[in-house]
This record gives sequence, C-alpha cells and structure tokens, in this order.
Amino acid sequence: MSQISVTDLKKVFKVHEREAGTKASVKSLFFRKFKEVEAVKGVTFSLAPGEVVGFLGPNGAGKTTTLKMLSGLLYPSGGDARVMGHVPWKRDREFLRRISLVMGNRNQLVWDIPAQDSFEVNRAVYQIPEKQFRATLDELVELLDLSTLLKKPVRGLSLGERMKCELAAALLHRPEVLFLDEPTLGVDITMQGRIRDFIADYNRRHGATVILTSHYMADVTALCQRVVVIHHGSLLYDGDLSTLSDKIAPFKLVEVDLADPASAPRVADYGEVVEEQGAKVRLRVPRAETSATVARLLSELDVSDLTVQDPPIEEVIEQVFRVGIGEKPEVSDVIAEVAS
Amino acid sequence: MTEHVPPPTQMSYGPRYFLDNYREQLKVGMAVMLQYRFAVLIWGVWGFVGPLVSLAVWTAVAGSGIVSNGATSFNRAEFSAYFLVFMVFGHVTMSWDAFEYGMRVRNGALSPHLLKPLEPIHRDAAQNISFKVVTSSMLIPVWILLWILLKPAPPVSLEQALLSIPSLALAAVMRYVWQYALACLAFWTTRVEAVNQLWFAVDSFLGGRVAPLALLPGWLGTLAYFSPFRSMGSFPVELALGRVPPDQVLPGFLLQLAWLAGGILVFRVIWAAGIRQYSAVGA
Repeated sequence: MSQISVTDLKKVFKVHEREAGTKASVKSLFFRKFKEVEAVKGVTFSLAPGEVVGFLGPNGAGKTTTLKMLSGLLYPSGGDARVMGHVPWKRDREFLRRISLVMGNRNQLVWDIPAQDSFEVNRAVYQIPEKQFRATLDELVELLDLSTLLKKPVRGLSLGERMKCELAAALLHRPEVLFLDEPTLGVDITMQGRIRDFIADYNRRHGATVILTSHYMADVTALCQRVVVIHHGSLLYDGDLSTLSDKIAPFKLVEVDLADPASAPRVADYGEVVEEQGAKVRLRVPRAETSATVARLLSELDVSDLTVQDPPIEEVIEQVFRVGIGEKPEVSDVIAEVAS
Repeated sequence: MTEHVPPPTQMSYGPRYFLDNYREQLKVGMAVMLQYRFAVLIWGVWGFVGPLVSLAVWTAVAGSGIVSNGATSFNRAEFSAYFLVFMVFGHVTMSWDAFEYGMRVRNGALSPHLLKPLEPIHRDAAQNISFKVVTSSMLIPVWILLWILLKPAPPVSLEQALLSIPSLALAAVMRYVWQYALACLAFWTTRVEAVNQLWFAVDSFLGGRVAPLALLPGWLGTLAYFSPFRSMGSFPVELALGRVPPDQVLPGFLLQLAWLAGGILVFRVIWAAGIRQYSAVGA
C-alpha cells in the first residue's frame, strides 16, 4: 500500500496583474485584472512506506506548491492525494501529528528564545510522552551536535546552526512522513554533508517516508534512488535516478583511445567531439546509434581502448534546471537542450 | 530500515491537552515579551490612554455638577470610577491579532503554525494572555496612583462587583474570538487592518469607551445595548460599579453568552473558508 498517493493533482493561483506606473495603478483601483497561473498541472505519483524520493525541477516548477498541498497547507484546484490514508488539506490533527514539513526559507523556532524552549512547545503540541521526548532529544542532540546550541537564542545562531535546530524541532515527534523543501539551502558544504547523513540515518532508523527537494544535486544523489522531475507544473520523469539520463539525455559518451594519435581528427565523423587529448577523444553519440557507431569505430579505426558511459547525472539535471530558467519550453525542448 | 515506527496510537485532544499547551505557550510568550519589555510597556500604556482621554473630557464637562440625559446621571467621581475601571477591563479584553494577521498571511509566517495539530488561535490566545500578565505588573502601580489621585466613587453593589469578574472573563474571550474572526478576513483582503480600524471606531463608541452608554440618546442606547460591543466592553464595567438594574443582570449575561456563541460560529465559518483560500506565499 502507498504511503503517499497523488492523482492528477492541480493548483491554479489567481494573480492580480497590472502595468507599472501611476496611471495603471489608478486604473487598477477600478478595473482589476486577474490572470490564472497553473502552478501544478495534474501530477500523478506514489511513494511506498520508507521510500526517499528526490523531487526535482527548476525554480517555479511547482515542487514547493506540491509539497504544500501534500502537507495540508494548500487546498488544491483539482485532483486527489492521500498521505497515510488522510486527505492532507482536511488537516486532521492525526494527520498533522504524523508529518513534518521543513522549509529551508521558513522557520518554526521562536526567534527570541533558546531552541530548547521551542522544543518544549513542540512536546506539548505533539503530545510526546516525557520519556520519549528526552530520548529523542538526546538522540538528535548527539546526531546533529546540538549540545552547545540549545541554550542560545535562535536569533544568535548561524544559518547552519539554525537549520540543524529546525530539523531537530521538525523531528522531535518522529514523523512518519517528512517533506523536506531545500533543507540545505544556504548552508556550507560541511554542514550540508552532516544534514544529509542525518536524514539518511533518520530514514534508516525510523522507516520514515521522505520527499526531498533540493537544488544541490549532492543531496539528491546521496539520499535518493528514485527521483520525480517536474517542470512547469508537469511531470517530466518518475523513476530511478540511475536511469534518468536514459530518458532525459538521449545520448551516450564514447571515449576512444586510438593507437595512432594522427587519426584523431577522423573521429569527428562518428559523433560530436566533447574533448580531445592526444590519442584520447570523447564523443557524444545519439543513444539509439551507440551500438552501430561503436561497431564502425572498431572496424574502421585502429582503437586500443573504448568505453561507453552515460552522461553524469549532475550534468543532466543541471541542464534541465538551466532550461527551466528561460521562457516556457516544452518537454521536447528540454530534451533537445540536454542533448545539445 | 532497521527499526520500524510502531502504529500510531490515537491521541486525546481533551482539556489536559489544551492546558498543557497553554502553559507552555504562556511560558514562551512571557519570555518573548520580557525580551522587548519597553515596547510591551508602550503598548500597555496605549491601552490606558483612550479611557484616560475620555475621563479627562467628561470630568471637565461635569465640573462640580452632573451630566444627565434625564434617565441617568454621572458626576465627576462617577465618571472617574467608570473610566478607571474601563482602563483595567479594556486592558484585560484587548486584542490585536487583526493588526498582525494580514502580514502573517501575506508573507507566509502563518504556515509553520498551520502545520501543527494545535490550531493557531490557541497559540495566539496564549500570547495575548502573556502580554496581559507582563504588562499588568507594570501598569497596576500606575492605575493605583490614578485611583488615589482622582478619588473615584466606590462601587455601590458588592454582589454586582463580584459578578463583574465572570462577566469580564466572558467579555475577554468574546472580544478575542470576534477579533480573530475579523483577523481571518486577511485570507481574502491583504489590508484587514483597515477593516479593523472601522471595527475599533464602532467598538469605541457602542462599547462605552468614548462615553458611558447610559448617556447615549434613546435609539442609539438601544442599538448599543443589543450590539456585541456592550457585551464585550461596557457591561462588565457597569456591573463592577453596580450600575446595572437588578432585573437587567441576567439578560446581560445571556446576551454575552449569545454573542460569544455567535462569535465562535462566525470564527469557525470564516476560518474553514479562509484556510481553503490561503496561498502560503513566501513560505
């Protein structure tokens, strides 16, 4: 049975728009113009209990909007979703008690007082038995190295320190479903690593289901076997991270080591040369033509060594993100861009 | 997965749950208030200023005589007593969520509170109580000094003075719920502060902050009597001073209960609809 199931989920925002300037400002007082923005255009996916899934896409793709609907913050415009059997936007107390949403740009800790006091508030809000609360807190203090931070007012903590305390606050009640929206945003590379290790450990220990969005590919590759890629509100890919490049990047990298360096220029006839270092040449070859191209290379040139690789996953995802920054391209445009 | 989370047990959300939460939220609220004691003191004094201005005006009008509308009258000492009690009761019943809610909805600061199984109104109510606890300790000496200086008329009925305590509690809860319902209009209009200003103006007038309601002319007095503003403003003050006719005490309480029930209903409806409207922008 799915822990999270999402069916044709949609969200449309009604946005007030007007031209710049005083005239337009006065005009908008009497004539309001609204436009509808489709943030999520009917996504469908599901997660098994204990799964950790990377939710990827460029800015404005609809990732955060989807997470907000799944955590009950937003009411959808269409479609359906169930999280542990609950309809999230009904906001049942039992549902809210069993989830957590961590947003890198938003905090739940009270700014002016030590984090420890906010933790006590969460103990009461989530009805955590005293013994379990102490045990979980001790565990979180040890894993996240919080002992020196608990008594400082939150406003005096660095961004990384605050993020660690935010994570602890979000996990004190041991949520079974964890929505992580950019949990390592703005945090230095060492802290990113610690937070990643901690999330992996939490998933292992408690069997929690995790959906993670991050612009740092290292977060995704370290934590997620499966990724869901969303772009302009539509699902682009749902499957193994390792096979993402098969779908998104329709090319392979062929590295040829030639016996005679003089024949290197001829390699350009077999594909797009990406790199050339003496007798070593790297080629980009359309995925469908890989076998035929390799056969031709071996028969027509004096090859001492040859390897075929998928493009690095970071490169593939970054291409998807990069395309998303420009004007609305269609899915086919994204694939074409990645291939180029 | 080396360990598995056991199936969740159904939690109880009874009175103990709320007591525990109010206690924790009060501790936090007071800790935060004490961080900004000067600003909090100014806010507290602000609540005193309105009745103090009215007191100054009406004692000047009364001079050494009385102000009467034929049916009832107030002399200088009675005006002093009325507005001095109003100062304290007004402080106990004050609420400011409608001033802040627009911002919280606009910048998404509401989101972390919506993700918890405790509805935000309880956290906000606890903060409201902490404000009153902290500021009362600062304002009570000021109030005692004013009482000594202005020599107000003493209460005329001990029985009514005692009844003013439950009435004040009802008024505080009622005003809080109505103000919170008003604050929730922020889900539709991002400038709910303007609506609240209008509410405050009407409340000041029909609630007895500007003048004792007994001095209002006929039809206006009747309107004020049945409005929620008397129930959450003037009624407990009138009781404390023993100015409510004995046969009007029970109807006064019933009106308070009716407006409280109405407020809870209105809040529930606006909240349920507003949450569907929330766009969680910025967070």
